[in-house]
Amino acid sequence: MEGGRISMFNGFSHSVMGASHEKTGLVCQDSSAYKVTDHYAVAVVADGHGSKKHFRSHIGSKYAVESTIEAIERFYEDPEQFEENFPKNHKMILRNIEKQIIANWNNKVEKHLEENPVTAEEKSKFTDEEFEKILPESYYGSTLIAAVAGKKFTFGVQIGDGSLVALFDDGKAVMPMEYNESAPANVTASICNSNAATMFSSFYTDKKHIIAMYASTDGLYTSFGSEYDFLDYHTIITGQLTNLETFKQAIVNNLTKRSRYGTEDDISLSCVFDSDFLTEKESLIKEKIEENKKLAAERKAELLKKQV
Amino acid sequence: MNGALDGFEAVSAAKENTQLDNSLDFDDDPLSATGVSRKSLVIFFLIDTSGSMKGKKMGELNTVMEELIPEIRRVGEADTEVKVAVLTFSTDVRWMYSTPIPIEDFEWARLRANGVTSMGAAFKELSLRMSRNSFLNSPSLSFAPVIFLMTDGYPSDDYREGLKELQSNSWYKFGLKAALGIGNEANDDVLAEFTGSKDTVVHAYSGGQLAQMIKIIAVTSSQIGSKSMTLSDDTGREIGEEDVFAAKQKLLGQQIQELVGSQVEESDVPFDTGW
Repeated sequence: MEGGRISMFNGFSHSVMGASHEKTGLVCQDSSAYKVTDHYAVAVVADGHGSKKHFRSHIGSKYAVESTIEAIERFYEDPEQFEENFPKNHKMILRNIEKQIIANWNNKVEKHLEENPVTAEEKSKFTDEEFEKILPESYYGSTLIAAVAGKKFTFGVQIGDGSLVALFDDGKAVMPMEYNESAPANVTASICNSNAATMFSSFYTDKKHIIAMYASTDGLYTSFGSEYDFLDYHTIITGQLTNLETFKQAIVNNLTKRSRYGTEDDISLSCVFDSDFLTEKESLIKEKIEENKKLAAERKAELLKKQV
Repeated sequence: MNGALDGFEAVSAAKENTQLDNSLDFDDDPLSATGVSRKSLVIFFLIDTSGSMKGKKMGELNTVMEELIPEIRRVGEADTEVKVAVLTFSTDVRWMYSTPIPIEDFEWARLRANGVTSMGAAFKELSLRMSRNSFLNSPSLSFAPVIFLMTDGYPSDDYREGLKELQSNSWYKFGLKAALGIGNEANDDVLAEFTGSKDTVVHAYSGGQLAQMIKIIAVTSSQIGSKSMTLSDDTGREIGEEDVFAAKQKLLGQQIQELVGSQVEESDVPFDTGW
C-alpha cells in the first residue's frame, strides 16, 4: 500500500481461567496484552504449557507476551525507517524479530530464576534424576501468537498452537499464518525449545489492509464444533467493535461461557483493529454476518442428508 | 480487560483471571450465534451389509441401532458431544452420512443387505477419513475415536492389506476398538486382528444376544472413550499419552468381558438354525 493508510488503531485483550484448572487448583496459564500507537498496533497471547515439568509456565507466558511487545517496540523505535525497510526485506527482518523475542524471553527467564531459585516444594514433585533432566527454561515453557498491524503492512508470528485470524479489506475472516513445516506436527512447539527461533510460523502482507486482527490461545478454537463457526465468530466480534466499551463485558462473558461449557481450558483473546477502516467497512461486515448465517444453515441441511 | 492504550502491561490471568461467576448473565450474549461445543468424541460403526446379513440379522441390527441412539445420547449428556459415523460395507463401501453427525441430530437409516464382504476396502476408506483434514476436523475433538466393527463372515477381499493401511493411522492406533461377530461364520481371529486383542471381541448367535452385545460394546466404549484420564499415575509421576490410550483399551476389554459374562442366557432362536 503506497504511503500507507491513516490508521486509528484500537484493541482489547482478555484471559479467562479454565474450569478444569479451577477444579485442579492450577493457576491460569494464559497471558494476553495489546498495545496501540500511532504507527502500529500489536495483539499478543501466550499459553503456558501447564504440565508438571513446566511448573512456572504461567510466568513464562507473561514473559512471552512482554518480550513480544518489547521486541516490536524496539524494531519500531524509528517508525518511518522501519516502515521503509521492512517491506524491502521482510523475510529477514521477521526472522530477526523472532530472534529478538526469544532473546528477550530468555533474559527475563534467566533473571527470574536468578532472583527466585527453584524451591524445595517445586523440586519435591520430582526425583533428583527426573529434575536434573529438565532444562531450566522448560520450567517456563509457553506458546506465543502475535498479530501486528502497521500502516503499510500487517504481519504475525507464532510458536506452538493457537490461532491468528484476520479480516482484511474484503471482510472475510481468514487464518493467514503460513505454518512452518519444520515444526513437528505432533509436538507442541514452545518458546522454551533450544531451537525455538527456527520453530516460528509467520505471515506478512503489504497488499491488503486489516480491518481487525485477533490472536487467541487454543482454548478458544477448541470451544467450536467447526472451523467455519470459529471464523464466523470473529466476523461477529468485528461487527461489535464499533461499540467497544459496551462490547467489552459481552466478550468477557462469552469467553467465560466458552471456557465453562467448552473444553474447560484457559482462553485468551487479544484484538487490534483500525477503527476508521472499520467504520468504512461496517456495512460490509454486517453483510458478511448475514451471509455466514445463511451458509451455516445450508451446511447444516447438507450435513443431515442420508446417503444410504 | 488486560492491556492498555498507552504503554502496556502483560497481565497474567493468574493474577487477574475472571472467576467463573454463576451470576454472569449469558442471555445477553451477542456472540451466541456460534454455539459453544463441548469436548467431542466420534464413534465409528463399521457394519457388514453383505448378502449373508439378509433377513433376521439385518432386521435385528436395524432395530437395535435405532434403539441404541437414545442410549448413546445419554452417555454424552454430561460433558461430551458424541458424534456418530456409520460406514457400511458389502460389494461397495458407503457412509450413511457425508460426515460425523452429532448424536442429537442422528437418525438411523435402515440398512439393506446385498453383495460380498469388502472388509479390506472398508478399512482403507476408514483410514482415509480418520484424518484432521476429513472426518476428524472438528476443533472441539478431544478424544481418540471409538471404532466398532460388526460382521457375520469372512472378508471377500484382501482385508490384511486394508488393515495394514489402517494400522498406520494414528487415530486407529489410539482409538478404542471393539468388534462383534454375528452368527457361526464370523471369525473371531480376524476380528481380534482388527481390535488388537481378544478381550474386545464378542460374539452374538441370536437376535437377543445381538441386541445385548451391540448395546454393551457401544455404550461401554463411548463411556470409556469420553472419559478424561489423568496423565499421571498414583504417585504423581507423569505418564505418556500412549499409556493412557493403552489403559483405556485394556479397561474396555475388561469391562466388555465382565458385562458379557453377566448376561443372562436368553432362549431365543440362533441365527444359524433355520434363519
